[in-house]
Amino acid sequence: MAAVDHPASSLPHLQLLSDLTPPSLERTWLTAPHPRLPIVATCSSDKTVRVYSLTNFRLLSTISGGHKRSVRTAAWKPHVQGESVLATGSFDATAGIWRRWDSYGQTTGDEGWGLGQEITTKSESQQEQAQETDILRQQQAADNDSDGGADDEDEEWRFAVLLDGHDSEVKSVSWSPSGMLLATCSRDKSIWIWEDLDDGDNNFETVAVMQEHEGDVKCVAWHPVEECLASASYDDTIRIWREDLDDWGQVACLRGHEGTVWFVDWESVENAPVCSEETLLAQWKEDVKRELSGPRIVSCSDDRTVRVWRRQPKEQAATGGTGMPSILRPTGLDETWEEETVLPKVHDLAVYAVAWSKRTGLLASVGADGRIVIYEERLVVDDASAGESQPMDTDPPAAAAKGAVRPEWAVLAVLPGAHGIYEINHVAWAKRADRGRDVSREEEVLVTTADDGSVKVWTVKR
Amino acid sequence: MESSMQNSNPTILNAADLPTRLRPSSCKAGTYGGGILASALPSLADPTNFSLSESEESDEDVDLMEEPIDEQEIYDLVSTISDPEHPISLGALAVVSLPDISIKPTLPDVPSSLLRTVSVLITPTITHCSLATVIGLGVRVRLEQSLPPRFRVDVRIKEGTHSTADEVNKQLADKERVAAALENGTLMGVIAKMLETCQ
Repeated sequence: MAAVDHPASSLPHLQLLSDLTPPSLERTWLTAPHPRLPIVATCSSDKTVRVYSLTNFRLLSTISGGHKRSVRTAAWKPHVQGESVLATGSFDATAGIWRRWDSYGQTTGDEGWGLGQEITTKSESQQEQAQETDILRQQQAADNDSDGGADDEDEEWRFAVLLDGHDSEVKSVSWSPSGMLLATCSRDKSIWIWEDLDDGDNNFETVAVMQEHEGDVKCVAWHPVEECLASASYDDTIRIWREDLDDWGQVACLRGHEGTVWFVDWESVENAPVCSEETLLAQWKEDVKRELSGPRIVSCSDDRTVRVWRRQPKEQAATGGTGMPSILRPTGLDETWEEETVLPKVHDLAVYAVAWSKRTGLLASVGADGRIVIYEERLVVDDASAGESQPMDTDPPAAAAKGAVRPEWAVLAVLPGAHGIYEINHVAWAKRADRGRDVSREEEVLVTTADDGSVKVWTVKR
Repeated sequence: MESSMQNSNPTILNAADLPTRLRPSSCKAGTYGGGILASALPSLADPTNFSLSESEESDEDVDLMEEPIDEQEIYDLVSTISDPEHPISLGALAVVSLPDISIKPTLPDVPSSLLRTVSVLITPTITHCSLATVIGLGVRVRLEQSLPPRFRVDVRIKEGTHSTADEVNKQLADKERVAAALENGTLMGVIAKMLETCQ
């Protein structure tokens, strides 16, 4: 048991920055950080989504009226300028699309915080001021919401469209890296892929319905840069999906977990284990054929484990031109994935969510035991081969010549009872935006979401 | 509900033979599986807990904090639930029984944790009873509504008593499925009827 009950200030530990207030009075399932703005969306059993500020940790607005049952999941569409687009998934079997102009509250019209290039060149204080003005305006709007003028309609979340198709509860939604495709999954064992036609009329087209899973599909997550989808299921498997010509199909089925797989996440394309020596890092990249194996996947399960999966190195798939017509889907897209490692076991109960930081490479997991666990991957030189003369018959020649390097996961910090006695349903990394941040570097915060409706924001102190 | 019953002639126990509480609930804290007492183990971080660890008189303090909950109380909560098929209680049908109820620390490696897991093993009246999931859900709902939030509820089919026990158990242990079931009007109608007979 590696629980750190009294983190000495010198040891890495989690420090609470703030709760998001006021909280939902019912169970909250997930909190999605916005890709550009310092805001998050929290899904609640009270059928609403709450939008909170990461600048002052206050509630900005409540999205309600669209779903008839619990909102289970939400995801922000990436690469949208001047507007925020949120997809939600509910136990009412539908997915909803919501829109709101970012410029709302800005005196300068369309110069909202959304215009990425512009805003980053502004000073931090200007940006903060702009955000605060916005928040102030929102609170004023909330105070006299009975007025309900034409202005309010522009300023509020607009329910754009309801995506209807699943037979039962929608459990997860995810936007593809380009924002063109939306994946939804459900207890009905299917995954739907929708194309956002972006025609100004909120039209979505069903691109594919995949039904290979043998149980509820609990989670869908897109590859960080490619149109490749990972899914996790009640059938204990993770599956990988790609499009071949016009058909979406399963390209891999990852077995190993001994219980429902609750969540999957990808690492960033550039991620690498922590290592101070460039040569070792280069050797690792070569060893695992990083270029050809691509980003890895992390998963967590009812079996209390967190696992990392890696694709076997694969030459770029030759698309077409093989001269071999086939009515079957060509096997050229099939991928072989292997379980790279099981992370050090810390959780005593089901692990509900895991988040792989795209900025730092740190992993965080949460679950029914109320713990938050942070893991770090480090590159180590194998003691066996470094310490003694290499036994010729055991080590492969290449490794023996260079001395074997291998990545190793270490538990960086454990926080028990992070939400008191309550189970933690979700964890996410987000860019730090409050006044206490160190502006000289891009700091991150961890956002955890629990059964009692509480959402907490943490920093990792090292 | 099904038009024809799955088990039209179940064995029914005499109400007088069902377990009841013989002694008042204020017996020694040790009988509660050491649970609450364990939470009062010396801890430098929490002086309030420290003071509780000393002697017999701690019982009263614990009682002030929260009524102790033991197996008999769990039995009393679930035995009065009605079977969905018969107007008979789960206790009388021996679907639930006192020896099949246990209360244990949820995180045994963390002595200071207040979490307790209540396990209830269910014995369906017939091995292929498709209502086993509904009965299990009824028991889970009853306990989640009655117990303080520090209690985790674990409802399972007793080993060897049901043909698809693993399937039912996986479903009953899935918090997301249970949460969704609670929002299903038809299902909750059935559950509400089962719970009507509970005080």
